[in-house]
Amino acid sequence: MSVEVKRKDQNQSWLLPSVLSGMSLTFGKMWGNLFNRKKMPTLNYPEEKYEYGPRFKGNHVLTVKKDGSLRCTACMLCATNCPADCITIIASEHDNEEVEKFPIHYEIDILRCVFCGFCEEACPVDAIRMGPEWQSPALNGGSFVYDIRHLAFRSELRGGIESRLDDAERHKAGI
Amino acid sequence: MLKCNINGVDLEVPEGTKLIEAFLKAEQKIAHYCWHPGLSVAGVCRLCMCEIEGNPRLQIACNTEVQEGMVASNQSEKVKETVRWGMDFHLINHPLDCPICDQAGECGLQEQYMEYGQYTPSMAHAKVKKRKVVSLGSKVVLDSERCILCSRCVRFTDEVTKTHELGIFNRGDKSEIGTFHDKPLENKYAVNTVDICPVGALTSKEFRFKQRVWYLKDEKTVCPGCSTGCSVKVYHNQEGLFRVKPEYDAEVNEHWMCDEGRGVFDWVNRQNRQSYSVNAENMEKPSSSELKLILTAQQTVEEYESLFEYLKSSNKKVEVYYWKNNPDKFDDFDNLLIRGDKNPNTKGLLETAVKHDITLNPFSGFDGFESFEGDIWFILPENKAVYPLYEQYVEKALKLENNLTIFAVPKVKVDKTKKNISILPLKTYFEKDGHFLNFNGLKRQLKPGPLQVSSALALNEWVSFVKSDDFGDQVDLLSKRKSEGFRKKNEMTQTGGGL
Ligand code: SF4
Ligand code: SF4
Ligand code: SF4
Ligand code: SF4
Ligand code: FES
Repeated sequence: MSVEVKRKDQNQSWLLPSVLSGMSLTFGKMWGNLFNRKKMPTLNYPEEKYEYGPRFKGNHVLTVKKDGSLRCTACMLCATNCPADCITIIASEHDNEEVEKFPIHYEIDILRCVFCGFCEEACPVDAIRMGPEWQSPALNGGSFVYDIRHLAFRSELRGGIESRLDDAERHKAGI
Repeated sequence: MLKCNINGVDLEVPEGTKLIEAFLKAEQKIAHYCWHPGLSVAGVCRLCMCEIEGNPRLQIACNTEVQEGMVASNQSEKVKETVRWGMDFHLINHPLDCPICDQAGECGLQEQYMEYGQYTPSMAHAKVKKRKVVSLGSKVVLDSERCILCSRCVRFTDEVTKTHELGIFNRGDKSEIGTFHDKPLENKYAVNTVDICPVGALTSKEFRFKQRVWYLKDEKTVCPGCSTGCSVKVYHNQEGLFRVKPEYDAEVNEHWMCDEGRGVFDWVNRQNRQSYSVNAENMEKPSSSELKLILTAQQTVEEYESLFEYLKSSNKKVEVYYWKNNPDKFDDFDNLLIRGDKNPNTKGLLETAVKHDITLNPFSGFDGFESFEGDIWFILPENKAVYPLYEQYVEKALKLENNLTIFAVPKVKVDKTKKNISILPLKTYFEKDGHFLNFNGLKRQLKPGPLQVSSALALNEWVSFVKSDDFGDQVDLLSKRKSEGFRKKNEMTQTGGGL
């Protein structure tokens, strides 16, 4: 196969016009941003932060019931569905026979998570949601494995997010 | 033999065959809950509907015997409609428990709903609530809401164990399974009711919530719990072994197994195992010309063969001791499955010993070993729970001054500075190839499952090491295995949390 080598455009051999057009763009934007800051498209992160929409799939939240206990029933459908294999659950018998099964251990390794949202979709009881938070700095690797305390009761959640589906209501409705 | 035609498939069945068996034999799908091949016919679930030529009404296939020239089918819209409605009636009061229910993934209701479901429920009334999480004795938990009243469990206690603990109480939509006067369900076969329950109404306390069933793989093998040698399936995944269920075997256990046999997977798990060898290099030293060997009837025939062949071919003075755990109870039998001889291969050991002309002296402790100067090989039983004197003998053995080699599945705590003792890890029944001979000489094959401990070898593999000239190299290989994680690739790594 032969490759045709394109001859250089005559204009390109003139360096100065290209440099000047580049410079005019740069300085044009600079003056624009200096004197018309409202129109500036970038943010002064971290002082200013961008608010994503409520449907943004960020860090996970485990929802709670009305009484403040975890909504999760430890069915492991999220862990089964997770393509990154990053959810670990250990189930146990609950004292209340209406609840029957609950997780004594629920961990998400957020560094492995690909934020696909499959866990949220798999959950039959609205126990796991992906919230708007997306910044998760930490000081060491271990802090990226989120446990129940973090997922359901971190201070940003102000006491926990309530699940839409409550078993008590379901039982009352006779379903 | 009777000729019949099922869904257009011609076949011949023996007299007395139920129509449902003919359907299954012709490999035709048929919905059913209450019929079980090992139990009598109840005909209560009304799902196994079929159309018989010449009969205007639909019939249940489980309670109809095949007649000469019978033409039956379950393909018509009429039958399908009936099954769909039957299914819907079963679901009227069924809770939507699948996320919590331990049966999910192997549930008859889930499976058959996919096939015969109505999909648009027509029930307008509230569900009847019943008792949940009722403990029926030490092994089984009942959830009456999930029960579809197929009566399999009741028939099992009536017909197989003949202990009659279970019954159906009350009538109509208040009907419930229960035990008389809430007496516990405590027989030696109770967990079979969990297996035959087509839904999650009966669950096993031991297995409850340990794993979701879709995380488990099964491996067909033989139960090493007693000399009956039931065919079983062992369920396992990368975290270890989790449960044992019976596998149909017409000659031995049919559909059942005992509850004790369900617990025999525990010693295979890595945390209970001797997982490395100690002083393995002792085995290659030119040792004394006298050898005493202590063994039990828990190894496979192949292992005894190679061991005895080695003993015969080496020009040592060998004495073999046979350690029987409970000789007085060896002939006990409960008329169902459980035998007093808690070793899977007693017959195999005795026959192989006769074949190789080996005398088995009874072993009764280390008295009389004091004056003995030569080597001792001690092959420990895998299932130490059925050896009451296990701890005592191991402790005594570890005090011996002889050149002692212990072949062990369970962990053996040894002072590593004692150079005369070497410990070699053995494979369990779940991991090795070979066969057992059960109490009446039936050969039952083991299938090697995934290795739980990478340095373990079967007895015959150890013997071939000992026989070979380059044992030193092999020992190097073994220690390499330990340090470099050799063979890690085909071993299940037990890191936990890798669901
Ligand atoms: S978002 Fe996706 S990768 Fe992350 S935990 Fe959920 S299922 Fe797993
Ligand atoms: S979060 Fe939802 S899907 Fe995951 S185990 Fe809990 S209930 Fe099941
Ligand atoms: S018995 Fe079957 S259908 Fe019923 S809750 Fe359990 S898994 Fe679901
Ligand atoms: S408990 Fe299970 S086996 Fe017994 S009647 Fe109910 S559904 Fe059938
Ligand atoms: S299987 Fe025939 S009625 Fe239940």
